[in-house]
Amino acid sequence: MLRLFHSALPLVGLLLPGSLLGQQAAMTRAFDLERRGDYAAAAEAYRTVLATRPADVPALLGLERALVPLNRSTEMLAAVRAALAAAPSTSAIYGLALRAWAAEGQPDSVRSTAERWARIAPTEETPYREWGSAELGRQDRAAARAAYLQGRNRLGRPDALAAEIAQLALAEGDYETALREWLLAVRRLPGYRGTAVATLAQTPDAARANLLKLLSREADLTSRRLEAELRARWGDPLGAYRALSLGLPSDQPQAIAALRGLLDQIRLLRTPAARQAQARVLEALAERSPAAQASRLRLEAGQAYSAAGDREGARRMLAGLADDRSVAGSVASDAATSLVDVLIAEGKLDEAGQRLSERRSGMAADNHDAVRRRIAAAWIRQGDLAKAEAAVGADSSVDGLALSGRIRLYRGDIAGAVQRFKAAGPYAGDRADATRRTALLALLQPLGGDTLPGLGKALLQLEQGDTAAAAAGLERVAADLPPPQGGAELHLLAGRLAASSGKPAEAERLFRAAAVKEARATAPAAELALAELFLGSQRSQEAVELLEHLILTYPESALVPQARRKLDEARGAVPKT
Amino acid sequence: MRRREFLSRAASGLVALSPARSLPLPRFRSAAPWLLVPMDDAQTDHLKAYGLTYRALKRGVRAEWFLNYRSGSFLLPGDSASARDAALAGISVEPLDDGQLVELRGSLEGGNMDAVPLEKPPKVAVYAPPNAPPWDDAVTMALNYAGIDFEKIWDAEVLAPKLKTYDWLHLHHEDFTGQYSKFFLNYAGAPWLVDMVERNRSMARSLGYTSVPAEKRAVAGAIAGFVEQGGFLFAMCTATETLDLALASDGVDIAASYADGDPMDPNATSRMRWDRAFAFRNAQLELSPTVPVYSDIDGHQVNSPDRRQPLGSFSLFNFSAKIDPVATMLVQNHRRVIPDFYGLTTSFNRKTLRPSVTVLAEEPGAPWVKYIHGERGQGTWTFFGGHDPEDPQHQIGDAPTDLSLHPHSPGYRLILNNVLFPAAKKKELKT
Repeated sequence: MLRLFHSALPLVGLLLPGSLLGQQAAMTRAFDLERRGDYAAAAEAYRTVLATRPADVPALLGLERALVPLNRSTEMLAAVRAALAAAPSTSAIYGLALRAWAAEGQPDSVRSTAERWARIAPTEETPYREWGSAELGRQDRAAARAAYLQGRNRLGRPDALAAEIAQLALAEGDYETALREWLLAVRRLPGYRGTAVATLAQTPDAARANLLKLLSREADLTSRRLEAELRARWGDPLGAYRALSLGLPSDQPQAIAALRGLLDQIRLLRTPAARQAQARVLEALAERSPAAQASRLRLEAGQAYSAAGDREGARRMLAGLADDRSVAGSVASDAATSLVDVLIAEGKLDEAGQRLSERRSGMAADNHDAVRRRIAAAWIRQGDLAKAEAAVGADSSVDGLALSGRIRLYRGDIAGAVQRFKAAGPYAGDRADATRRTALLALLQPLGGDTLPGLGKALLQLEQGDTAAAAAGLERVAADLPPPQGGAELHLLAGRLAASSGKPAEAERLFRAAAVKEARATAPAAELALAELFLGSQRSQEAVELLEHLILTYPESALVPQARRKLDEARGAVPKT
Repeated sequence: MRRREFLSRAASGLVALSPARSLPLPRFRSAAPWLLVPMDDAQTDHLKAYGLTYRALKRGVRAEWFLNYRSGSFLLPGDSASARDAALAGISVEPLDDGQLVELRGSLEGGNMDAVPLEKPPKVAVYAPPNAPPWDDAVTMALNYAGIDFEKIWDAEVLAPKLKTYDWLHLHHEDFTGQYSKFFLNYAGAPWLVDMVERNRSMARSLGYTSVPAEKRAVAGAIAGFVEQGGFLFAMCTATETLDLALASDGVDIAASYADGDPMDPNATSRMRWDRAFAFRNAQLELSPTVPVYSDIDGHQVNSPDRRQPLGSFSLFNFSAKIDPVATMLVQNHRRVIPDFYGLTTSFNRKTLRPSVTVLAEEPGAPWVKYIHGERGQGTWTFFGGHDPEDPQHQIGDAPTDLSLHPHSPGYRLILNNVLFPAAKKKELKT
């Protein structure tokens, strides 16, 4: 059959009239010329087609496209006149005619063409829409508005051309009119909602309250949805949820569509308020959804409540799910994981461990181990290294080794920590973890001894957020070590902690202690850190001198490009963004 | 004869560039008496290399520009200050001994290359209003990044004798027709536009002019006078087009009513006096105040949706270094084809160019060119279309370009060629 069809094609071609074949060839040639950017030749090719078929709409549109880049749009007029004479009732030609007259700067002709078009299409908005568009092309907003209003009047529909009038009002800064017109447009055609929200969202701060007041006076769901989505765009996601919840209809599909619409607006926001709003919307969706979907939605709601810091909300959503045997296994497992994370965040580590043990059989091994490591990390932060070690257990994964290395380090077992960090390699945790581990290795490797309890204690204090105690502890350890064997590195770290704690004088003293010639691996970093400290303290000249010293004294250092960048900044040669 | 001439020039170059003339700093003293600053792909920071050369001139030493040799390299004495400066800025330099230099000069003689002595650092002025954003001008950014000194001047300084004290004047996206770049159409009410209008009106009033267009026309005339008396003018973006429109519109109202209170002369196009312009002639003026375009000089018409043309690439012409050293200096680059970039004026339609204009770069096959040069009186001018070579779609409010991310920018090199060009020792041109 296929073979028959293929073999018949040439025959069909032969049967086509020769003139039609010629027309097709001319059109193909014109398209090809246009595609290659030879607009002058394309325009001539389209004219060739129009010479025999003056009302050929694709050829007319092609001619219009080709003339625009040549800045010869006014040449469309002759073609359009011929087309209208040949086919006076073809709507598409009137659109072309309007644009041609507008390009010629003939508003009277634009108007008469539009009215002629409206007579042959008395129930359509298109003539008035195109007329207004042509006037806008001439930057004449008043004429465009007149065209739209005339259309609305003639068509006898108060919501006709509402979207066009709304956009015009927005361009003129008349936000109230824009809102009223968008409401008309969306009520008639809900597909306009996205455009309405996107354009009204650009309303300046000062005018927003008034629009919200106007919306609050409207009672229908369209207004509630518009208000909610605008509030979400304007940084009030909780207000958005409240506005929508007041107007949610009893009709489930409509309510779900409205909630989903709001969720789409706020799903990517990451502020606590937005998380809270996401959680409430998801909870409301769960209440209106069949059981299978509801459990997944409750899980997402619980996770959102947790991310918002609302642990009570998270517990409310997750507790039932984790213990509910009727929900899907993956949902129950995820709920249990999330619930354990809530307990970790609350510092209830024993309870978290117990929950984890209870759910072990229902959880994937990887997931279980990851949660166990999070519990161990939380024990470290609480300073209970024994319980942390017990939680890690015999975990020989790269993540387990990295965690075990941290525990060894905080106990002052430098050799054990280095061994485990090396074994963990670069793949444990995320990129930031790997970078932190590499920095720790760089810090530990030059150290002479195998154990340094003072260093372990100081680094644990740093882990627990006690920067001042950590800096003091590091300095004490550094004082007992020769600069090339860790003394300089520890001074540098202590200096960085002092700088980040807003103690510039102390930081300067520590950086200077680190920037000694004997420690050639550390000195460039210490000089760079000191220069950055100077730049932050408006001591640019000192920073410049120090950076020049760094570049010229340690030309082989990997920090030289960074130092050059800082030097440019100090001299004002790169923009401040 | 050629060889004798070459040896003579080489010897005079050696004397002129004697390293003994600069202060030695033992720590950074180069092992060789000369430093070659390569400008081909071996260079680690092309833009800062111009600053290195400029600062050497400022210290009172002499340099040379090896046109077409390794993409326009520089020769500096191997003194401690130059070596230190290069090390600090991360600029590649190659030590040369006397024998290598003589050999190098021999190769310059044998090809389309030449050595141009650079004698004194040009005194640079950038025309910009006092409130101009410091990073919204490609030249200002290039000068800052390279470390070349400059002073900012505006209308009062241009109309005063002070302008004569500068060697080189740069204009960027100023509108010398006094219509505020026609931003009134799209940015009416924007605080920065309100401020721009008030500053310009205030300046016009203080200088005794009835309108901003009238005052800007006087400023354009003063700039033309600066060039006629031997100044070097470098203009970019819309300053190119509007400067010539202002000059050619003497006695013709080409400003919209929002700028001077009365509408544009409907016959302005036919009444223009193009003999007064630098570069253009017979341009068709845009008569509508609502179209953000000045004329058909610009080939790309970026702000006119119906006429806007897509960006392509432009190619630099090759010139004879020995016969046409000025044009050769202006096109020194390590790339011959460079991606185009928009500006309020992006390019120059060929049909609007005066016959005497030298085209330095063009988009092959397109009806426009990108980079042009010419002489006027005792001075020269160069026009470069577009706003920022490393921000092709630059929009108002965009983040500034950080040139440390573009140290090899071929577009910015063209700007810096113009800055160093006035440092070259003047000699009788053969064209």
